[in-house]
Amino acid sequence: MSILTEIEQSIESLPMVPPYASSPQEQHARILALLKRELAYAADQNPSFRNYIEHWPIDYRAAEEIVDLPYLPVAAFKANPPLSLVPAGEITRTLTSSSTSGQVPSRVVLNAATARRMTRSVVAIIRDFIGPARRPYLVIDTPENISPQGELGARGAAIQGLSSFATELFCCLSRNQAGEPELDLAALRAFSTKWKDQEVLVYGFTYIVWTHLVQPLLRQGITLKMPRVHVLHSGGWKRLEQQAVTKNVFVRDVAAVFGCSLDRVIDYYGMVENVGVVYPDCPSGNKHVPVFADVIVRDPLTLAPVQAGQEGLVQVCSVLPTSFPGFLLLTDDMAELIDYDGCSCGRRGTHFRFARRVPKAEIRGCGNLETARYSSGQLSQA
Amino acid sequence: MNNLIHSIGSAAELLGAAQRVRETSRQENVSPSQVLDVFERWSAALETNAVRQIPGVTFLRLWFRRGTLEPILIRELGQGYLNGEWSDHGGVRLRAFPLGVIGHWPAGNIEIQPILSLSCALLGGNGCLVRVPSGLTEATHLIMEKLQEADCDGLLTNRIFLASFEHSRTDLHEAMAQAVDGAMVWGGLEAVSKIRALPFPHWARVVVFGPRLSVAAMDASAWGDSKAQVSWCRRIARDVWQFEQQACSSPQTLFLERGSGCDPTEFLEQLKRAFEEENRAHPRQQIEPALTSAICQARASWLLADPSNRAWFPKSPDWTILQGTGLDAPAPTQGRTLTVLLVDDLVDVISRFDGAVQTMGLGTQEAQREDALAYAAGSHGVDRVVRLGQMHVFGSPWDGMDLVRPMVRLVRHGRSRE
Repeated sequence: MSILTEIEQSIESLPMVPPYASSPQEQHARILALLKRELAYAADQNPSFRNYIEHWPIDYRAAEEIVDLPYLPVAAFKANPPLSLVPAGEITRTLTSSSTSGQVPSRVVLNAATARRMTRSVVAIIRDFIGPARRPYLVIDTPENISPQGELGARGAAIQGLSSFATELFCCLSRNQAGEPELDLAALRAFSTKWKDQEVLVYGFTYIVWTHLVQPLLRQGITLKMPRVHVLHSGGWKRLEQQAVTKNVFVRDVAAVFGCSLDRVIDYYGMVENVGVVYPDCPSGNKHVPVFADVIVRDPLTLAPVQAGQEGLVQVCSVLPTSFPGFLLLTDDMAELIDYDGCSCGRRGTHFRFARRVPKAEIRGCGNLETARYSSGQLSQA
Repeated sequence: MNNLIHSIGSAAELLGAAQRVRETSRQENVSPSQVLDVFERWSAALETNAVRQIPGVTFLRLWFRRGTLEPILIRELGQGYLNGEWSDHGGVRLRAFPLGVIGHWPAGNIEIQPILSLSCALLGGNGCLVRVPSGLTEATHLIMEKLQEADCDGLLTNRIFLASFEHSRTDLHEAMAQAVDGAMVWGGLEAVSKIRALPFPHWARVVVFGPRLSVAAMDASAWGDSKAQVSWCRRIARDVWQFEQQACSSPQTLFLERGSGCDPTEFLEQLKRAFEEENRAHPRQQIEPALTSAICQARASWLLADPSNRAWFPKSPDWTILQGTGLDAPAPTQGRTLTVLLVDDLVDVISRFDGAVQTMGLGTQEAQREDALAYAAGSHGVDRVVRLGQMHVFGSPWDGMDLVRPMVRLVRHGRSRE
């Protein structure tokens, strides 16, 4: 049996459902050995990755804790060609991140086996929050964002990741003549009327939901009267923060527009580099780690794991990918580690809250501190 | 803010302060020798635990000594300047006079830079209007308290006004520029460009110390000498650690010239030990998460880019050595991240410099070779060539420019009688 087959069998044997039932000790013990085998496999497949992990200050083969294993910064996936563990011919899909303001996007390659696992894992997580039933699926986006093949952006990946719950899929935005997304209000009203008493799944990127659904409907005083929806949303808060829209305001207004209770609006954290693992907010407002993953919050000063109640850089871990080395990734996000176990919602294991994105580091010479960028007429001076 | 650094809210406050500094400077002449006396006492006063913790203060103590500054004044302005005398030059007399009030826009990442900048202007007999960056108010205040102790008569203190205001207050920057006769500007490209564009009086002299970066270079006569390796590596570590590798004089890349029979591995292991030792002596107290991310990314991208690249680093972001080959310095990461590139000939490296390199820290034990490398560096835009371990030793000229002379006027007196 090949190493890859052994690894794949080990992943398949993980009890994905329920995803939050293991104690932290059980979970770590289960995935530590698997992660080490995956690192060894990845090193065999990719000489550059081997070079990286062989320079790690701790030999991963001897590591006794997940925190000691070599992790990649997510920006490593901005490389071109993308980091891969499979021949080009096996790649069935390339996911790209939603890079902003001209930055290079991350690119993550999937083969069929990895893609299948990603779908299963997302379903296992989401059903823990909304139940297993299939239902009508309302997407707050345009159909163009869901391409059947080739490269798929973060929005498309998120939309497709939830499509296993769908009996039918309806995108309520369309492009106007200027190419801008626009709410198709008539179609949306028809959809809401048709399914008003049913369980419905709604998904959209946070700022798309706010800009193209909530604001237009609020302006027109329209409520959709869909009390049994679950509204999932993900993606950054930066644009909403710029409009001074807090999370509480967002949830309140989304719930008002759909006519549902606040607890049916669920924010989740995820990224294409960690595809297959998403972190929805539980009723206590915390994000939980499923059995096939881990989250380590590291002190920026030491990179050691923080204690409960402290903030740090988020490292995500996942045993799921075998087509790219996305097992252990240091993100550019800061989070507060709430605790390593004991959330009041009943889910076991590490739980945390997203705090903010880390701004991109700027090179500093004898001068360019106080780095606020200046608009015309404003000084940004040392 | 406090009694030394004034929180400014209006242009009128700045203009008033500038006027007071100007009048004080005109009414109370101060000779270079008097300035040096106060500086000498200031140097002694800085010998306290609280102040010594400020990065760069050890250097500042040396800088303020008469033995350091007198030779600089003599070289820049001649022996006569020290005595406040006119000097004869073929029938005419020359004497340096202060420009008046000098505006200082120091960098925000070098704790002692407001003080260094104003010290240059004071040596020219000027008054000073200093915009203290928000992150440096505490350090500047502590150092200025020591000046107050050393300058009981207020000889220098009365001709200094320290201002603090938001960097976005264009109106205050403009008012400050309008109120001065000269400016010393330290900063990044954008900041420097903006300050240059401020409405200075047409007679004002603006000296800009803009963004630069620095490198280290060694030939095999230095790094291949196993007896000297420990010393060289300590020097390199010291240069990397000071100012968190964010100064324009901080080495970002070390070029190692290959030599027959010399194995760089031994040297690099020694360099690693020196970094560990320096880190024990000067552990980092805090870090921006963005810098931690950048350091992790630098390590990964270096090792992923080429399987023959090597690196040494601890679990923490404390320090990083990246080793490979190539003639061009990669984009700096800072945060104690030194890229070591093996090259066949240092001249090949230097010949590719384009003016961005300010300082080349050099390690060689062959005098002729040193002269040749210094000449090559000077020819390719490098302004300072210094021994490794002394890359941050602030001295004149800096960035190829004198420090005191630009802030004085050399008045020519042709006698009206035979």
